[in-house]
Amino acid sequence: MNEIDEHLREIIPRMRRFALSLTRNPSSADDLVQASLERALSGWGDKRADGDLRAWLFSILYRQFLDAHRRSRRYARMLEFFTGRDDAQPSVERTVIAQSTLEAFDQLTTEQRALLLWVSVEGLSYKEVAEILGVPTGTVMSRLSRARQALRQLSDGEITSPSLRILK
Amino acid sequence: MISLPPSERDLHAYVDHQLSDADRRLVETWLATQPTVAAQVRGWQQDAQHLRAALGGTLQQPANPYLDPALIRQRLKRQSRRHLATAAALVLAVSVGGLSGWQARDMTMASAQLPMTDAMQAYRLFAQQGVLPADYKVNADGDMQHWLDRYFTQAHRLPNLSAVGFNPVSGRLLSTEQGPAAMVVYEDQAGHKISFYVRPPGPENNLLPRGSRSDGELQAEYWSGGGYNYAMVSPTTDPAAQMLKKTVQF
Repeated sequence: MNEIDEHLREIIPRMRRFALSLTRNPSSADDLVQASLERALSGWGDKRADGDLRAWLFSILYRQFLDAHRRSRRYARMLEFFTGRDDAQPSVERTVIAQSTLEAFDQLTTEQRALLLWVSVEGLSYKEVAEILGVPTGTVMSRLSRARQALRQLSDGEITSPSLRILK
Repeated sequence: MISLPPSERDLHAYVDHQLSDADRRLVETWLATQPTVAAQVRGWQQDAQHLRAALGGTLQQPANPYLDPALIRQRLKRQSRRHLATAAALVLAVSVGGLSGWQARDMTMASAQLPMTDAMQAYRLFAQQGVLPADYKVNADGDMQHWLDRYFTQAHRLPNLSAVGFNPVSGRLLSTEQGPAAMVVYEDQAGHKISFYVRPPGPENNLLPRGSRSDGELQAEYWSGGGYNYAMVSPTTDPAAQMLKKTVQF
């Protein structure tokens, strides 16, 4: 147990970073990490993949986020009532021209953010990412390509906000 | 080995250091002759670097003690009982809700729900099918009353059924539409089961006159008192239950 926990402790900062890039909110991010660790630790024996521990934990976290996101969209009003804020940003705000890579990154879709973080930041192999998403490696590569193009365009400010165009 | 000119996928693989050494050198040599493509690739590389730098700081944030694996293990252990109770309550709510919906459709009457339907559902789930482990198990005489008193202070005492050979063995906490409920299962030597069920009368303060009814193979005796509703549920065919009905005064 101790050895596994040591290994986990090394990965937790990376899980928190990934969660933060998905939720964009530090406390929701830590909630997500906690929920993922609980799931990981309670299903340890039977569900653990043979491969990289980090990739497996990322995959749990990503699914938890997608589930929670779906739920939160369904109960957006209720969530707003409890938290006083709305996690799903309106699309108009999200198309505002980005000034930096990070701002551009924040405007990408959930899957694109996850892809770029896994590949560019964490250095996971295409194969590991393919396993997390449950798609062929070729699909990972084409989605990664689209994500990169989108990030490039947003960083360069090549995309004009539809709302700005209307104002002209 | 990749072929030249490299595909876009090869270029991404180059950016991500996922090419073999030989392929990487091949792409580098080729890029030296292709300034437009090289600029595009450099853009991707820069974005990746910026991203790594921008997100690098996040790794340095102070540790959150709540996320420590050892602590989470402990919490999981403590919570497992409560989670089971919650799961039980969900199962119960779903089955009772489903039933009442059906009855409402069927009877189109104002109070479609028959008295203490949830008590019978709980008996089916926990006493008959044993879907979830008990929250509390008796290990000495009198324990069960003490356990129940922690949650239902004003409630009627647990009936003493030892005269007919039944003793309390296990208790479960549930939540129902009417409020928190507890079910205590009695068992005799032969393994026959009778349940004692207690819960609030609900938002409409639906107190019950002393009565009994049967539903399928189950028989329920119900009554109210001390601000709660009660039911004793047992199989109709159980000879001990027949005797119980005759001998026990609630």
